[in-house]
Amino acid sequence: MWHEQRGEEEKRRGRFFINDNVDILREILKRLDGPSLGVAACVCRLWCSLTRSDDSLWEHLCFRHVSSPPPASVRAVVVALGGYKRLYMVCVRPVLSRLGHSERVRKRVWTRHEVQLSLSLFCIDSYERLASGRLAGADASASSLMFLCNTVNV
Amino acid sequence: MDELLAVVGYKVRSSDMAEVAEKLERLEEAMGNVEEGISELSNEAVHYNPADISNWLESMLWNIEKDSACSDYDLKAIPGKAIYAPENPNPNPNPKRLKPSTESQSTRAVVVVDSQQNGIRLVHTLMACAEALEINNLPVAEALVKQIGFLAVSQVGAMRKVATYFAEALARRIYRVFPLHHALSDSLQIHFYETCPYLKFAHFTANQAILEAFHGKTRVHVVDFGINQGMQWPALMQALALRPGGPPAFRLTGIGPPAADNSDHLQEVGWKLAQFADTIHVHFEYRGFVATSLADLDASMLQLREDESVAVNSVFEFHRLLARPAAVDKVLSVVRHIRPEILTVVEQEANHNGPGFLDRFTESLHYYSTLFDSLEGSPVNPQDKAMSEVYLGKQICNVVACEGTERVERHETLNQWRNRFASAGFSPVHLGSNAFKQASTLLALFAGGDGYRVDENNGCLMLGWHTRPLIATSAWQLAANSGWDGVFEMDYWNTVNDNAAVLLHKCVWKLGV
Repeated sequence: MWHEQRGEEEKRRGRFFINDNVDILREILKRLDGPSLGVAACVCRLWCSLTRSDDSLWEHLCFRHVSSPPPASVRAVVVALGGYKRLYMVCVRPVLSRLGHSERVRKRVWTRHEVQLSLSLFCIDSYERLASGRLAGADASASSLMFLCNTVNV
Repeated sequence: MDELLAVVGYKVRSSDMAEVAEKLERLEEAMGNVEEGISELSNEAVHYNPADISNWLESMLWNIEKDSACSDYDLKAIPGKAIYAPENPNPNPNPKRLKPSTESQSTRAVVVVDSQQNGIRLVHTLMACAEALEINNLPVAEALVKQIGFLAVSQVGAMRKVATYFAEALARRIYRVFPLHHALSDSLQIHFYETCPYLKFAHFTANQAILEAFHGKTRVHVVDFGINQGMQWPALMQALALRPGGPPAFRLTGIGPPAADNSDHLQEVGWKLAQFADTIHVHFEYRGFVATSLADLDASMLQLREDESVAVNSVFEFHRLLARPAAVDKVLSVVRHIRPEILTVVEQEANHNGPGFLDRFTESLHYYSTLFDSLEGSPVNPQDKAMSEVYLGKQICNVVACEGTERVERHETLNQWRNRFASAGFSPVHLGSNAFKQASTLLALFAGGDGYRVDENNGCLMLGWHTRPLIATSAWQLAANSGWDGVFEMDYWNTVNDNAAVLLHKCVWKLGV
């Protein structure tokens, strides 16, 4: 409420407000790394809905540092199996962290083997969810990828 | 007098503490050896001053040791050093001193049981029990198996678990109580798949070989000798979907044993895979075959089609055929008739099929100790780890306790399989660097798995823990000339329609003329 009023005031004064320019906002969000994208989702409702609904943001995140861009057919498969956001959360992020690479490092280049492996693991995850009839909610990681999760000390 | 013990009612001089501890240890050991009820001991001994624990122990020990001197279970009677190391004049060679956290004035010597020594005794006892079983000396074996139980609980971690499973297997062999088929075996395998890399390694390396063999083909057919939950195939279908030019038409024949609860397990797996294939737009066909043994199959049952390229896949299935002679030859002959582009085989890298029991026992003890060690480091939750251990424990039971056709876990080494496949008319296909790199990356993902190693061995890939290889993936194709020296194969499968001339022609060709 308060910030909408402020936005209108700004407009009247002719100043730039990012939430009015969603296409520019998208371009900026596309270039963020994983943790920053997560933080961005907490800023306001618009940013939150953008990060949740726009899977291409996550696509950029997943394959930004691949040495050669993945073939176009990858998108159809990834989208069919649950989308890039899920690919990132369930496979890419844990794989990167296990391989010892900080998510904030921008210069790290993925080899195609790492990409292939992530996609294979993502497949297995999707197959397991299909097999269990989509129990336990869309965000719960299926058990095959449990080895990627860090155990919590109770 | 020692103050802490005085509080609980015992009078022990501080200077006698080490001696009392030693006597307690001896008493505990002696009580473990006694076969009859311990209540008899307590009746015979007469005590006047129970608070004087030092003298009480002395009299208990005297009573027990006088009884056991003429026991049938005097293990000193066993020749050799298997049970007892040469007499050590100092009964406690390594007393360990622990500084108690509360007391700071006088150091108290506390003797603890040396678990390392017990570990060595545990291994010796296991070996001695196996030796006794090899010569069919059941009374001694029985006594030793009980010892193993006591010694195993003094260990921790992998050693304790392995010893417990082997003790159970030995007991089953002695008492002839053979394990029933586990109702939960599917679930156990799923947990094994999830907690450690062995099955994933097998699937990924075999898939890479199959993918490369299917290069450029438009209709492909995979025959899976052990479909289980079908976990191997989603990744292959995805890789086929992503190849340039689009996916081929994919057909899968899944073979499996009859389900314990008579459910149509194979059809369920097929249905799940069909759903998956549908989501990634791969044309998919499936057929399931229930067979108690792979040797029951014939090539004609598979309804092979003219224009399709076939791959045959076997993950931990071939070794089961060794229980019946000629079963392996029959299956390999069926595979030859299928004329596959590639045959992928994953097997345990160990010789658990030797004729002598003791050798088998020793080999499997080393093998499963290494496997359990590798599991120990993995940080998965304890229930899942326990399920994987039960899965391996079943294999241990089968190797040690069963014989004849019941013993299906007849693992053989890669070189032994190489000889078999070569003499059956197959030549090796080298697994390329793609498979190697994928496998290495996969292993790097397993936390606590610094010990895993991928090695290349003449075109085959082996996964091992530190220096010990544990499983091996190999790939095969039909040799260029499928004749082999002087061996004459009767054409069993096409006898009905072949006329004699054609049959004779085939025989002559196969002789390599």
